[in-house]
Amino acid sequence: MNLKYGLISVDDHVQETPDVWTSRLSKSKWGDRIPHVESDSNGAERWVVDGKPVDLPGVAIAHAALSDRGCNTGRWDEVPESVYVPAERLKAMDADGVDYSVLYPSVAGTGGEMFGRLADPELELACVQAYNDWLIDEWAAASDRFVPQCIVPISPIEATVAEIRRAVGLGHRGVIYPANPMELREVPHVNEPDYDPVWSTCEELGVPLCIHAGSSTSIQVSAPSAFSPRLAAAFSSITRQASQISVLVHLLISRILLRHPNLKVVFGESSLGWGAYQVEFADQQFNEDGLYLEGYDLKPSEMFRRQCYLTGWYGTAGVQTRGIIGIENILWSTSFPLATSSWPTTRQYVERAFEGVPEDEKNLMLWGNAAKLYKV
Amino acid sequence: MLALEGARSSGALIMEIKHGMFSCDSHAQLDRYAFTSRMSEAKWGDRIPQVVEVEDKGSGELVHKWRVDGKISFGGVVNCPAVMHDRRYYPKRWEEVPLKAYDPLERLEALDEDGVDGEVLFPNTPVQNFSFAGSRDPDYEIACVEAYNDALGDWRRASDRYVPLAIIPYINPIEKVLEQVRRAVDHGHRGITMLADPGVSIKGSQPLNDPFWEPLWATCQELDIPINWHGSAGMASELSVPDWEKYTTRQHHTVSTGRLAATPAQMIPNLMLSGILDRYPRLNWACAETGMGWMAYVLEACDHEWERHHLWTEGILTRPSEAFRRQIYVDFWFERSGIELRHFIGIDNIMWESDYPHITSTYPRSKEAVQRTTAGVPEDEKKKMLYQNALRLYNLS
Repeated sequence: MNLKYGLISVDDHVQETPDVWTSRLSKSKWGDRIPHVESDSNGAERWVVDGKPVDLPGVAIAHAALSDRGCNTGRWDEVPESVYVPAERLKAMDADGVDYSVLYPSVAGTGGEMFGRLADPELELACVQAYNDWLIDEWAAASDRFVPQCIVPISPIEATVAEIRRAVGLGHRGVIYPANPMELREVPHVNEPDYDPVWSTCEELGVPLCIHAGSSTSIQVSAPSAFSPRLAAAFSSITRQASQISVLVHLLISRILLRHPNLKVVFGESSLGWGAYQVEFADQQFNEDGLYLEGYDLKPSEMFRRQCYLTGWYGTAGVQTRGIIGIENILWSTSFPLATSSWPTTRQYVERAFEGVPEDEKNLMLWGNAAKLYKV
Repeated sequence: MLALEGARSSGALIMEIKHGMFSCDSHAQLDRYAFTSRMSEAKWGDRIPQVVEVEDKGSGELVHKWRVDGKISFGGVVNCPAVMHDRRYYPKRWEEVPLKAYDPLERLEALDEDGVDGEVLFPNTPVQNFSFAGSRDPDYEIACVEAYNDALGDWRRASDRYVPLAIIPYINPIEKVLEQVRRAVDHGHRGITMLADPGVSIKGSQPLNDPFWEPLWATCQELDIPINWHGSAGMASELSVPDWEKYTTRQHHTVSTGRLAATPAQMIPNLMLSGILDRYPRLNWACAETGMGWMAYVLEACDHEWERHHLWTEGILTRPSEAFRRQIYVDFWFERSGIELRHFIGIDNIMWESDYPHITSTYPRSKEAVQRTTAGVPEDEKKKMLYQNALRLYNLS
């Protein structure tokens, strides 16, 4: 590990280039079902997957890199290179004081959920593999400052497990998994033991399971139709983070963490502000309902501290309450290039959040915990 | 009501503080005859909410349940485990229910025993603030809402230590809603409790942001009464990862309660970005039984997005955390996290609650609970959180 700045950002997004899938999937086999960019009669470009337009703000997620974060990129030639060219991204990281960056997708879903919606498991797998291959070929190969994480097909489970093994073999260091696979298509409840092979594989390979905010829209209050696009974007950023509350509570009670004590779960773009309350309240409710009578060896807070991670990038409340959340359960990020990102003034956000925090604790939250988790 | 004859009622607005704790979330159980004695039998017959005897399907025992609009209500006859000898026991028959759950005068003794000066009253079995909208019958809804608000308003006549919150109709025109609010305030109510988003929870009702509700905000501001949200305020199942059918009863309860903060953590931002707070800057909002540590999240997330998206250019003129401190209140009962964050949240926006007589209630050891939770907090800050802020919000001082 080579630390120049003292920050490992555990949540950033790559923008897939228009050729990611067209250059990797068989045109004769899949034809126009392959994810690709097409333009409408006005010249506006957008992504189309399996015949359906992708619900992205424009043709790329690049808001933080634009002069106005409220604008969308309507054409590929307007997209800043820092979101899709690895060498340019490294410069953006240097400008912002970021040593390493853990990568999530954009078109494939900011929480890797996009292809889970495809009804055809064969196409799902082909799309997933193309993304995973591309990220290794183009990003991981460009610099070891990029920490690649794979996406997975959600069904059948054998395919999920096989792809995790293949991707980790290629160099992926984390597994992105949707919070609510039942929302994507007809699959068993995520608490079912059917999924145990997935969790066991992550444990065995020593890679964290990463649940990123926004992968389930049904657990977010949707933006009122009266909201302007800018208000709706701001609102959705807020509800996305808060929706992780329900995901965390289900996980803590599901017994998955008890059955898989070595599984690490990262809540990407969770923010930290609600963490202390939620960890404390889970115990309060657990005790009050007498759940300890039902064979839990650990309280929710103990499971959380052993196995879960929340990610911050703004604000100060989470760091202030680190004693309740757990100093070793806090990770930092820049969320580049989402509109909410701290880029390009991440140093100021960090300074504000960590004011008065002892150096050793600060180091854990800014890079130490992440280095251990991702084996940087 | 006979029980109320001779009851003390000073009529004054000022509330006497003897113990130094005021609960902003308690639940008033209405008497089993509260509706039958107030609604026309000729007109509503068996549809009137009432306690009836039914055979329990599992045990074969004869138990009591509430019947509303001809349908047997889910759950026990009264949700009051905190006042039972065995705290895990929910009474099955009305005669098992202690008077201190539903008799306003007997209940005062329980308050004194627990060191509580007064309480803000939310509904109890079988009423939730939206219960009567399910009938799909606007006239029936009004009749039930009136009966409920009259019955609960009578509690304030029994003692001004009670601060009743009125419920409102949802499937009626806005004029009828306003009529009920004014009527309830005349009858002693000091606020209303409503759904976080009627449009989501009730088919045919309007979203919180819809202009339909504007006259309600204007009226509540004019009458100087706060809007109160309780728990998930009707949004719990909408906002959750689907429940697992194999959860035990305990697991189900822990999960469904444990995630409650996900509602206000999304609905307060909805309120903030809707512009309602700027349009009605003297209208106050309170979140009961949600805890408060999560509020730090709402404040910093809303401020952050307000900055990142330049929302002042979209008509959201006041910085969200400033609007919060001006108009929104949150409650605590068990937590350390919220107390640690009290200045971050706002020392003038925090209130205490006992949740009497529900399972999570601090009764009958509220004093110890408060001492534990607020250990190390300076006296003047404690006073604000334990009663002063509440007296100001509900106009009791």
